[in-house]
This record gives sequence, structure tokens and C-alpha cells, in this order.
Amino acid sequence: MEDKNNEDLRFLQLNFIGRILAGFTHEIKNYIAIIKESAGLMGDMMKAGKSGKEESRQYLEIIASIEEQIERTMELFRHLNRFAHKMDTPLASFNVNDGMEELLALLNRSANQRKIILEKDFQKDLPLIQSDPSMLQFLVFCFIQEKLDTLDKNSKIILKTTLINGTVTITIIPHGTSIEAAVKGLCTPEIYDYVMKQLGGEIIHKKEDQGTQITLPLSIPEIFSGVGG
Amino acid sequence: MKRKDIKVLLVDDEVKFADTLAQRLQMRDLKVGTAYDGDQALSKVKEEEPDVMVLDLKMPGMHGMEVLREIRKAYPDMQVIILTGHGTDKDEEEAKRLGGFDYMKKPADIDHLEQKIKKAFKEKVERAMTAIAFAEEGEFDTARGIMKDEEN
Repeated sequence: MEDKNNEDLRFLQLNFIGRILAGFTHEIKNYIAIIKESAGLMGDMMKAGKSGKEESRQYLEIIASIEEQIERTMELFRHLNRFAHKMDTPLASFNVNDGMEELLALLNRSANQRKIILEKDFQKDLPLIQSDPSMLQFLVFCFIQEKLDTLDKNSKIILKTTLINGTVTITIIPHGTSIEAAVKGLCTPEIYDYVMKQLGGEIIHKKEDQGTQITLPLSIPEIFSGVGG
Repeated sequence: MKRKDIKVLLVDDEVKFADTLAQRLQMRDLKVGTAYDGDQALSKVKEEEPDVMVLDLKMPGMHGMEVLREIRKAYPDMQVIILTGHGTDKDEEEAKRLGGFDYMKKPADIDHLEQKIKKAFKEKVERAMTAIAFAEEGEFDTARGIMKDEEN
């Protein structure tokens, strides 16, 4: 049973990485297309001999637009780089808010396609936790993806982080109408339980409009005790 | 026929991309309108009756393939060129099966896109002239079929 769960989890994690990369490449292509057209437009205007006060103003606007797209591209690369490096160590001290911020940035386009808003409500100054940052991100991704698949357009998903009774809590709260979907999310209940066992926390499924809550202990989970120096 | 007689509708949710590309095509004497999602595209088609649509696939709300399907049903003589950053081989096959004129990937070369638009318009005009020829011979069903582009 453990081997099957491991195998299923590995497959789903690869699926998760694939989806993140596909979204990323699509987004980057769009930014590069804007840069190309903007540079091309400047070239077209110069070839047509357009110069003058109005044209100079337009050139400056186009340059500003190119700079904006470059910054958007770099921001996405920063998120992807951090996402990739999360897999470097299975146990790390990290701020949950950073990982969640990154996940929202990487899922933003997918949510936009479905006309669903992703909103954050992060408690400031959360203490660091020691856990598997990549596995946690995967788990939260699964819950958000399930909501993206089963919510109608013009809905909202709030990703909330809080410190409650000494545990860091992540809550995924859907606001909107549910729809019937052919594919509902990525993970099965067995996989959720298996991942949660590794993270040492707990999943609480609340009423529909109150969302799903993941609680994570601040101390090193039992499974990792005795590892490292 | 002056190129400004070729009416193009650019459909893309990236506003900056659509507006900049529209400006560049207008400098090449094409008459270009823009729409930023599928619903807006279908409204603008009714108002502006473009000859050629340049259509993105991944847009919020209505997917580009759905727009293509609706256009082929309601405006079979309109040519649709897919221009997407997303595309897979499967998407390309599906777009062509649905009657898309061509399929291009972003970022596209502007001269290449201009040529495709002109070629699409030329094919539309040739089809209309062939239909007229059949109609003049009394072969109205054939003429109608050609206008509906029933081979695609």
C-alpha cells in the first residue's frame, strides 16, 4: 500500500510540475510577443520617418512598455527559480507565506483563464516552520486546483494563513457556485492523507463555504526526528 | 483593391499585444479592430463584419476553439488564423479540422502574418467568385455550398 501511494504521489508530483511549467512557458511567450511587437512598432515608425514631439512621446511609451514586460518576465523567472529550488531539500525552515505567494503567482494565469480570482489573506510575521516546502506547495496546489475545476466563473478562492493555538494554518476558502466537472482536481483522498502524514499535520474539511484547512506543527515532525545534525 | 479594404479583427486577451500588433498591421494598410475575449469577439464580428480574424486560443472565459466553432457556424465565409503562444500539435489539428485557415505560433513575424492575412482574404474572394460563377449557371446549391465552405 505504501509503495502504491509512493508511486501515485510521484506521478502526481510530476503532473504538478508539468502544469506549472506549461503555465509558465505560455505566460513567458506572451510577454516576449509583446516585447517583439513593441520593438517592431518602433522600427516601423522609424522606417516611416516618424519624428516629432508626439512621436517621441510614443517612443518613450513603447520603451516603458518593453521595460514593463521585461520586469514581468523576470518576476516570473524568480518565482520559478524559487519553486525549482524548493525541491533541493526535503526538510527546511521556511516561511509558509513565501511558498503560498509563489504558488499564487504561478497559478494566476490558470485562474484568469477560468475567470476565477485568487486572493491572499496572509498573517504577517508567521513563525518559520520546519517541513518539506515542495510537498506542502504540492498539497495546497491540489486543493486549489480542485476548486478551480469545480467552481463556476466569476468565483473567488481565498488562500489564508494564520497562527492558531501554536500551529500554522493554511485555509483554502471557495466563494462561488459549484459546477459539475469531468475532472475534479489532481489528488485522491488517499494521497491527501499520505502527504499529510509525511508533513506531520492535519487536514480539516469544513463546510463548503468555509473551505479546507491544513494545520502544520511548528516543531520537526516525528518522521524526520533523528535526521541531520 | 486597396489593402485598406481588408478588414481584420484581432482577438487576444493580452491588451498590449493586441493593440501594438493592430497598430503595426494598420501601418501596413489593413483595417484592424481588436477584441479582448471571445464574447467581445462575437459581438464585434456582428458589428464590423471582418474578412479575417486573427484569434488567440487561451483566453479567459470562452476558449479560442469555441470562438472558432461559433464563427464557422455563423460566418462560414470569414477566414480565421489562429495565433497562439500555447499551441500543441493537437490544437493545430483541431483548429484545421474546424476550418481554421492557418495556425501560427507567437511570437510571429509581422511580414509573415501580413502575407497570411492577404492570402486568406484572396482565398475568400476567389471562393465568392467561384460561387457567383456557379450561381450564374443556375447551380444554386453548389454555389451555396461553396460560400459555406462545405469542404472544410
